Amino acid sequence: MSLVMRKSPIEYFNAAKWIIRRECRYLSNLPEVAENSEVVEDKPPKGRKPRFLNPTLQYRHVYPEFLPDPNPKFRNSLREKLERADMLKRRSQVDIPEFYVGTILAVTIADPHAQGKTNKFVGICIERKGCGLRAEFTLRNVIDHQGIEVRYELYDPTIQNIQVLRLEKRLDDKLFYLRDALPEYCTFPIDMDPEILPEGSPVPVNTVQVKLKPRPWLERWERQELKGVSNIEEHLKEKDRVRRELRKTPWEKFDLMKDYRKTIPIEDQTEIWGEVYNQLQQMRVSRKKMSKQRTFTAPKTQLG
Amino acid sequence: MLRNLLNRFKSVPSCGFHTSPCLNEVQLLTRLRVVDNSEIGKRAMAEGKPPKIICVYNKKRIGYIGDRVMVAIKGQKKKGILVGLKQTQNVKVPKFDSNNVVLIDDNGTPLGTRIHVPIPTILRTILKEKTHAKGADYTKLLSIATRFV
Amino acid sequence: MASSNLKLLCTLLSRIRVENVTIKRNLYQPPKYRPPHWYMPKERVLTDDMVTQDNRDFIDEVRQDKLNLQTAMESPLSKIEPQETVQWNPTTRRVGLIARKIGNYPLWTKSGKKVQTTLLQVVDNHVIKYIPPEEYTPAKDYKPKKVGKYRLGCMLVGSETIDPTTVTKDYCGIFSSVGMLPKRHLCRFHVSPNAQLPTGTPLFATHFRVGDYLDIRAKTIDRGFQGVMKRWGFKGMPASHGVTKTHRRPGNIGAGGEKARVWPGTKMPGHMGNRWRILRGVKILRINTKHNVLWTLGVGIPGETGAMCYLFDTVLPLKKLQTPPPFPTHPPAEDLPLEYYDESIHLFEQPSITFEET
Repeated sequence: MSLVMRKSPIEYFNAAKWIIRRECRYLSNLPEVAENSEVVEDKPPKGRKPRFLNPTLQYRHVYPEFLPDPNPKFRNSLREKLERADMLKRRSQVDIPEFYVGTILAVTIADPHAQGKTNKFVGICIERKGCGLRAEFTLRNVIDHQGIEVRYELYDPTIQNIQVLRLEKRLDDKLFYLRDALPEYCTFPIDMDPEILPEGSPVPVNTVQVKLKPRPWLERWERQELKGVSNIEEHLKEKDRVRRELRKTPWEKFDLMKDYRKTIPIEDQTEIWGEVYNQLQQMRVSRKKMSKQRTFTAPKTQLG
Repeated sequence: MLRNLLNRFKSVPSCGFHTSPCLNEVQLLTRLRVVDNSEIGKRAMAEGKPPKIICVYNKKRIGYIGDRVMVAIKGQKKKGILVGLKQTQNVKVPKFDSNNVVLIDDNGTPLGTRIHVPIPTILRTILKEKTHAKGADYTKLLSIATRFV
Repeated sequence: MASSNLKLLCTLLSRIRVENVTIKRNLYQPPKYRPPHWYMPKERVLTDDMVTQDNRDFIDEVRQDKLNLQTAMESPLSKIEPQETVQWNPTTRRVGLIARKIGNYPLWTKSGKKVQTTLLQVVDNHVIKYIPPEEYTPAKDYKPKKVGKYRLGCMLVGSETIDPTTVTKDYCGIFSSVGMLPKRHLCRFHVSPNAQLPTGTPLFATHFRVGDYLDIRAKTIDRGFQGVMKRWGFKGMPASHGVTKTHRRPGNIGAGGEKARVWPGTKMPGHMGNRWRILRGVKILRINTKHNVLWTLGVGIPGETGAMCYLFDTVLPLKKLQTPPPFPTHPPAEDLPLEYYDESIHLFEQPSITFEET
């Protein structure tokens, strides 16, 4: 933010230090604060590449479920270790790709109730929650003009395949407002083709702003400071605006204690990522190889 | 003036009424959406008079997926099967944006000939379990479904 | 005449000797509760003893030596030859373990169903002492039903070795008398005489097998002084409709007339939790031999994460041990597999579950 105005190298250094410290304070398993990282990436100090000293900074958003529940009531180092080992074992069997809230996924599960004993569902990820083996995500789609949501467990052994169809992020951490939005914003064809991003490119942020249906709504969206909704003001009455002002909690972003209770401190995180880094990196590399093979083989089959 | 008012409001603690999210349970007098193409169902939905539940046939009197219900539709009593719920479901069971019902008669034969929304696959197992050799055969409903999720 | 008679009486009386007086009432009354001899005050007030740095170092050195000696100590079981071990029969009672509850996480069965499990870690368990049934005189209400035939001895088991300087001398004495370092937790188990173990035998999670059932005794979560709604699940009273000041109160606690008093056992507000409770018939689904962790089915084990609990073979008649378990305990072995799984559990390193068409 302020980097552009500063000139002398000492000040650059100070600013970099300040940013690093700030980054460390926000080390969390919470979804990324968008502006924070963008500033670092867009305007790095002169002569230095934007590199991560620590895999912590990189992985806490890609694999948020590896960080334990910060509630001290449930913490135990041995249990967390065993849980992580089990998670890695499961990841070695099924490829769980990198995805975020807003990514469009296709999940194939083994379903004893279905006709072919498999069931595929395509949808946009509207929520990711839980840590460890309890991690869950929810997909939403509109099929035959009927909104449908399915909740999956990430480490459920009945999951056969998770395929990322379009890797992107949205402006908000949770997309529950899609339930009240016009149906075209979460309608995805069942036979959607995967879109392959060029290698090394950052995950794009989809800045689409959805339009909500008129009230009644399922929740009071106007109080949640949503960025991905365009027409929220149209549907509000004077009464709602007054209530929104009354209910605002502008002090909460300065509440360091609240932040601390929601996050895992950096010392714990370095330990955790140090333990799982190598295996996760290996899995990433092998996945890249697989995807390359797939992209090369696909045209051949067409030719033949 | 307004600021004064605001300040006064701020000192008041949160109001005493219930603020937890609703469960969206299907119970007596819940309005449902008919999703088959039976004549009576189509007309009721077109007129904006969706059917109301007047009985849920289970011990808890709260409808879960695959439960049989009696509905009041256009001044008549009809039976139906719940094929999609708004309520939070178990893992891998789809949650729908509306409470869907398919009308059946006493033998379990659906009144319509087609269901125009997806049906959860778990209904196969549930309806097979509910069907007894001598009683009504609910699995006929599955044969008129167009799509399973 | 009269005087001679009196003299005779006197001589007769003098001949009478009181030999034994029996008093019907027993003067000695045993106290109602007499704690067992190993119930010693453990906590010590830590004071600065004005010890010089050299002496402090020396104490540390001695302590470290002792600890090394104990860790290097071989299990007494390894010396005993397998022929000498006695056979298990369904009436014998084995020793239990002291474990720490370390959390919950799900496992999946082979049919794709999720089950919640509780993880119990067996930390550094050692047999401290065996008291045979003849010497074992518990405090009260213990009348052995069949003397001689079915009497149980008492086994003291400790877990988690601690620094001897942090506990009292009396507590330390229990352990030093048998040549062990003091343990943080000490517990007694009633065992059959043929299931006795020598002092210093380490106990591991492999004492139990996968698929067996356990009884788990632990203290419930301490919730402090609670009202009737939380403590007993009363309904309370309406929030509105003219109700004032009685929204969470119990209401009436009794009738008049003959019963014009509070009956014993009436559910009232009071302290909730922090009581010993036993959860019976908990199945073991998985065992890790490296970290000595047991995965048990269900989340109903009393206490919060980090609480201690006592595990022993279940007494439920239908879930009792059918086949002979490791008896008297599993000897320490090097070449054990890392993990044992129940046959119903899906292993994470196995490929994903698929269902066959029927």
